[in-house]
Amino acid sequence: MQASDFTPLVVECCSEVLDSMYFTTVLDASSSVGHPSAPQADELAFSLRFRGEVHGTFGVLIGVSMARMLAANFLGEEEEALTEIEIAEVVGELANMLCGSIVSRVEGKSKFALSHPEPFMAAPTDLESLFSRFETDNGMIHTWIAIDADGLDAAADQTVEAVH
Amino acid sequence: MAFSILIVDDSPAMRRVVRRVVDLSGFDIGKYLEAGDGCQALTVLHAEHVDLIVTDINMPVMDGEQLLLAIRSDRDLAGIPVLVVSTDQSAARVQYMMDHGANGYISKPFVPAALSEQMYKLLGGEPDAGF
Repeated sequence: MQASDFTPLVVECCSEVLDSMYFTTVLDASSSVGHPSAPQADELAFSLRFRGEVHGTFGVLIGVSMARMLAANFLGEEEEALTEIEIAEVVGELANMLCGSIVSRVEGKSKFALSHPEPFMAAPTDLESLFSRFETDNGMIHTWIAIDADGLDAAADQTVEAVH
Repeated sequence: MAFSILIVDDSPAMRRVVRRVVDLSGFDIGKYLEAGDGCQALTVLHAEHVDLIVTDINMPVMDGEQLLLAIRSDRDLAGIPVLVVSTDQSAARVQYMMDHGANGYISKPFVPAALSEQMYKLLGGEPDAGF
């Protein structure tokens, strides 16, 4: 399975998650294959590992102002009342929920494990990923998903094992 | 009767959302208890009275699957209803959790009414018509 095979799932799951729990509507979506780039100063990025029949990494990249808006919607609070930590936690949960939704639909008949979402600081240059860009009524969201070449990334597996 | 609910999730944001949904559901909640993993949850369960456990699956230290097995094998805790709220929507996981004693399973993302309905089913009463 290649990253590009996930295109319809990523779009479907992102639309569903944003609509039902973040009260945000996806207006347009596009996807392309490439390498992840590091987040800029005004962006937040979280990634997590998934492991089941398919192994890989999933990430979310979002502007800080958009993240604040999503956090307010998700938590039912005023934007001004939210701390940076709370906003980051919501972006981490968004990454977790999106990844879980996508992988669930791939791994319908087998159990899988997700690692804890962590801030994504540097761009791994060896990962070919499917990038998806979502234009919503609240701003832009970017996601990426990379599938391990042989499904046996030992170092990454240890990360997942550490939390299970 | 005021209920005591334990929310187990490694995401503070998700614990907050679950708590808000429960608040809006019309239940008389006497005490909210929270834990960031299964191990913390067991500590709380041995120290406090709990009427319902709402737990995630993917958590560090002790995950929700291990927590469920620990609860169902503990004579003092085995009778407490466990409602699973997880991003894992795979049929295999849902079946496993239900086969091993979960009383309900909600997949994230979820609409508030789904959590409310499951809670009424487990704690008794009728869903709040306004929710």
